[in-house]
Amino acid sequence: MKNFYFLLAFLFTVVISLKSHAQEYKFGKITKEELLEESYKGDSTANAAVLFENKKIYYDFGQQNGFRIVTEVFRRIKIYNNKGFDHATHEIYLYKENSNAEKISGLKGITYNLKDGAIEETKLKKSEIFEEEYSEYNNQVKFTMPSLKEGSVIDYKYKIISPFYYSIDKMYLQNTIPIKQLKTVVQIPEYFNFKKFTTGYLPIQLKESSFNSKITLTSKTRSGGQGFTPSSTNFSSRDIDHRVNVYNITSQDVPAFREEPYSGNPDNYLSSIVFELQFVKFPNSKLENFSTTWEAVVKSIYKDPRFGGELEKTSYFKEDLKQLLKSIDSPVEKAALIYNFVKTKMNWNEKYSVVSNHGVKKAYKEGVGNAAEVNFILIAMLKYAKIKATPVLVSSIKKTTALFPTLKGFDYVVARVQLGDKYMYLDATDKYGEPNILPNRVIHGSGRIISENGSTRLVTFRPKTPSLNRLGIQCEVDSDGAVKGKTNLYYKDYLAHNFRLNYSAESQETMIKRLKQKYEINTLDNYEAKGMRELGKPVIERFDFNLDNQVEVIDDEMFFSPLLFLRDKENVFKSEERRYPIDFGFGYSNTMMISIKIPENYEIVEIPKSSAFRLPENMGNFVYRINKTSNSIQVSITETLNVPFVTADYYPVLKQFYSQIIEKESDQVVLKKI
Amino acid sequence: MHKKLLRFFVAILVLVFFKINAQDSNLQTSQINPSLIEEANAIIRSEEIIVDIKSIHSVTIKTKRTITILNKYGNKNADAYESYDPSIKIKKLEAVVYDKNGKEIKKYKKKDFKDRSSYDGVSLMIDDRVKYFEYTPVAYPYTIAFESEVEKNSTAFINSWDPISNYRLGIEKSSYKLLNPSKIKLRIKEINFDGYNVERKKGESDEVFLISNVQPVIPEVLSPLRLERVPRVKVALNDFSLKGIEGHASDWKTFGKWQYDKLILGRDELPQETIEEIKQLVANSKTKKEKARLIYKYVQNKTRYISVQLGIGGWMPFLASDVDRLGYGDCKALTNYTKALLNSQGITSYYTIVHADKKIDIDKEFASMQGNHVILNIPDEQEDIWLECTSQNTPFNFIGDFTDDRNVLVIMPEGGEIKRTKKYGSEDNHYHVDATIHLGTDKKLVSDYIKKSKGLEYDWNYKIQYQNPKDQKLYYKKYWDYLNDLKVNSIKYQDDKSDIVFTEKLNISCEGYTKKVGSRLLVVPNVFSRDQSNFPQYEDRQTSLIIARGYVNTDEYIINLPSGYQINSLPEKRELKTKFGLYTYELEKIKDSQIRFKRYLKITDGTYPKEEYENYRKFRSEIKKIDHSKIVLKQI
Repeated sequence: MKNFYFLLAFLFTVVISLKSHAQEYKFGKITKEELLEESYKGDSTANAAVLFENKKIYYDFGQQNGFRIVTEVFRRIKIYNNKGFDHATHEIYLYKENSNAEKISGLKGITYNLKDGAIEETKLKKSEIFEEEYSEYNNQVKFTMPSLKEGSVIDYKYKIISPFYYSIDKMYLQNTIPIKQLKTVVQIPEYFNFKKFTTGYLPIQLKESSFNSKITLTSKTRSGGQGFTPSSTNFSSRDIDHRVNVYNITSQDVPAFREEPYSGNPDNYLSSIVFELQFVKFPNSKLENFSTTWEAVVKSIYKDPRFGGELEKTSYFKEDLKQLLKSIDSPVEKAALIYNFVKTKMNWNEKYSVVSNHGVKKAYKEGVGNAAEVNFILIAMLKYAKIKATPVLVSSIKKTTALFPTLKGFDYVVARVQLGDKYMYLDATDKYGEPNILPNRVIHGSGRIISENGSTRLVTFRPKTPSLNRLGIQCEVDSDGAVKGKTNLYYKDYLAHNFRLNYSAESQETMIKRLKQKYEINTLDNYEAKGMRELGKPVIERFDFNLDNQVEVIDDEMFFSPLLFLRDKENVFKSEERRYPIDFGFGYSNTMMISIKIPENYEIVEIPKSSAFRLPENMGNFVYRINKTSNSIQVSITETLNVPFVTADYYPVLKQFYSQIIEKESDQVVLKKI
Repeated sequence: MHKKLLRFFVAILVLVFFKINAQDSNLQTSQINPSLIEEANAIIRSEEIIVDIKSIHSVTIKTKRTITILNKYGNKNADAYESYDPSIKIKKLEAVVYDKNGKEIKKYKKKDFKDRSSYDGVSLMIDDRVKYFEYTPVAYPYTIAFESEVEKNSTAFINSWDPISNYRLGIEKSSYKLLNPSKIKLRIKEINFDGYNVERKKGESDEVFLISNVQPVIPEVLSPLRLERVPRVKVALNDFSLKGIEGHASDWKTFGKWQYDKLILGRDELPQETIEEIKQLVANSKTKKEKARLIYKYVQNKTRYISVQLGIGGWMPFLASDVDRLGYGDCKALTNYTKALLNSQGITSYYTIVHADKKIDIDKEFASMQGNHVILNIPDEQEDIWLECTSQNTPFNFIGDFTDDRNVLVIMPEGGEIKRTKKYGSEDNHYHVDATIHLGTDKKLVSDYIKKSKGLEYDWNYKIQYQNPKDQKLYYKKYWDYLNDLKVNSIKYQDDKSDIVFTEKLNISCEGYTKKVGSRLLVVPNVFSRDQSNFPQYEDRQTSLIIARGYVNTDEYIINLPSGYQINSLPEKRELKTKFGLYTYELEKIKDSQIRFKRYLKITDGTYPKEEYENYRKFRSEIKKIDHSKIVLKQI
């Protein structure tokens, strides 16, 4: 398997500018051709397309406000049919923090239609624009364009003025509809140094240049006013010359972005460019460094009282810990006790965070905390008990994988524990978690560990070994074709984890109902589930069953698949092509052992052939073995997927693999009346 | 003075002290009657709702609710929030969380509640907001005591009493008190009291309803809605106000009249230009129906659905002239606009209030604010015309299963009237499949497939044409998920919107359709219409069986056998006849290399006694078995 991160690194490639002859677009000026266009040239299935998107991002200096970032947006969208109407509604989020807030100005919109061969314009009115408080940190501005028809073209433009001059929003270079032409210009005064990162699979044309500019400062000096001299005010102005660096990003015919199943966070594959501030250096002042290396990021977070400070605290749990550990010496036992204690005591409030919100003390007292708080408590207790434990910063499934050293790349924390020469990951937010068995939100993401010498390293949490599953059936077929038997279903590791996660709160009755539905079983008796609460052990389900729909009797012959209800019937991969990797989270190995006794007055005339096939590069394999005696059939099947992550180029073989499995599993046994 | 203050202080201290230390033994979860807990996710320990009608411009609702949450599914029953808008004032809001021993663990004052827009997922803009708190349970069971007081200016909606507000919710006791000191004339309706022990006490100017020890209600498939199963009380004032607009109504006639006069009348003016355009448009049409059809098409081309619900705008449509200019509106606005256009050509139509989606009737006997959607009714000679004005794609006079077969309120200038919308009967909802199938010796199947859908089958199928081709292919792969390695080679659609027939023409292939076993080839003749239903068994079914809509599915395939194979004997014709419908399955030999497959399935809609559920389940499972049956071809 190719490494995921190798793949991401590969995506960094920035294709250097190809000269293009682009059409000129101006707000309010449109051509009949645009209105007459009936479908998008490169993608006839598009319901709408962005004909032109122009973003201009620049710094503005005012003596009162200092530096502010201005983002000017102009977008022209063509609506081909009524399915594209949603693209005439636009939402803008304005960030606010304390008394600082982004502001919007100059929002204007026009809808164009063709009426009797003439262009008709309808302007967006002020009363049709809505602004409301969306959340603590965001206001939302919303509007939808008037007089929309199939074939309409809409223009809208606006300006966002942001006091947060150290942060340039991520720029998306792709949309859920195609973009015909995209032009983004970023102008940054030399005082601000940014690094650029891109995501996605598409080429991006980036051209750099610069020009001279100046900032004019006006100052007011009062003179005189003492003794006999009358007071007077003098105005003087001073120009500050500086360079402005310009980044021109252009793109043509950007295909529409489509989400694909099993691909983790789709944002990782959407084409975008990010500007990350490295340092600020104003004339005559010291260089102010923003995060530059992972080591610096880590250092800065340890300095944050909500991180390092909270990790240091111990007084709140000292007594409890003493009670808990009593005279236990073994580090393994201590670690297990502490881990279980925190898992039981603490309840995750479903908030992702890399720092504490209300403090570990309060969290501990109430038994509720965010991801950082819960795992800080775990780490602090382990350390206090002299066990080597460090926090691991995590980008969860909700977070786009961090491409450059930045704190913003993380939203979660887990613990890494060293016992002897063994390392393991623990996450106390997950009631059903085990060492190295982490919740989905973590395994689909990635982490960064900090070694003792302060250096950092990227890690993935996807397990290296597949999780095991053993399914067994022992049954007999009677002379009417009814099947009676016993089943054992056995789940280990991640499969046991997910089973517990999904079904721990269910009643026995619900479990029976679920199995009856899933396997289409008529009667199901003596159900029992074992190991639900015994973490670390497998979960086992057992039951007796009666089936009347698996064996088909035609004339004097019986036909059935020897897998009975364990047969896989549907391929989850239906799409013919795939652009993004398939992320299963963990690999698995299913073993099925079935033993079938046939009715007395019947003989076995046909059984499927034993066979085996595999995926390339040892990614997975399927083995089907079958044996018969005079009155019974034994089948043993193993289906293994060794890798949790498969790159898109293997999609066709993966799809084929599953299709072959379904095909093989439907092979029939034939019994004949003697 | 000082002494007095001190004494007061001590009193408070004692009180507070007492409160903190108290482990309210009533709140202990061990006190709950075990018969209520079985199958419950939560138990209402006590609930007290007091609706105090101060005047037609003011009603106060006091709620005290103590609820024990038994497991994670019970969390949604906590109901510890209040919604508000500019006409609603939340005067009191607090909650206390107790552990299973009745010990207080957390307290929320009004300021601790979070506030957010109660975005409905559809609207561009609404002014409804909600105050709520986030609580992460540390253990189950736990108990929340919630208390609120809300004052509303609008009295058009009086909170009804719906104590069994969820499935799997047990109730120790719940009461509802209605105070009407100013003796405003009001109407009260008891619903589904049968089988429940509800106490009703009438006082001088108040009424109390009380229920206790109620077992949880469990959901079942193909059953009546919860609302039809549980006891409720509806209340409406004869004199009321809605966001400042006063009204008087005692029955649907007067209620409709008020709506017409205050919310609809005078909102239908259109620009002269538009009227001229419409006049031209219908100039050559003779009948009312033809004109209406053209106008409906005009509205579909010109407008789209955008919801903006602000203030009275939640009940009053946008001006028709605004819709004309903006080209959008919500159901009220678009219906009113269509009505105005029809009116400009002398066609009378009526704004009609309906409960859409879930099949819920507007209560014929109880006039009050009801429904969640608006459609248009045009009386016509033989049969009324019904128009859904928010869709650009629905055919004229086709309301589908969104608003079919239910009581609706038709608002006429002279007053309201309850009418029933169109019912699509079993025979109306018909699809027919014609297929020519070729089986290869290499296990492959290739087929031309034509499916024609009418009635609700049209509704259930026609939307696929608006998906992009990739999704269309995926749709068929999911629809026939049992066909491994299915390839959809071509897709063609015909949408006849005037006769309301949707045709799907496909060419499909499937690599390993047949199964080779020794010298036999196994084939399932029913390639396309296999019953996929999977109904659960109930040991003790509680509710009647409801088949909301009937349908007829017919299939006829010509199956060309692979060369070198023949069929020895064909299975007998099968027929299953029950009160729920009819099923036949038939295979016949056309010639040695060709057989014909015919299937007929009719499901009859209706409400059947609960004992019949198991029979219906068996009927369907028998159909399913036959649908999946194989035939054996032998090598010649």
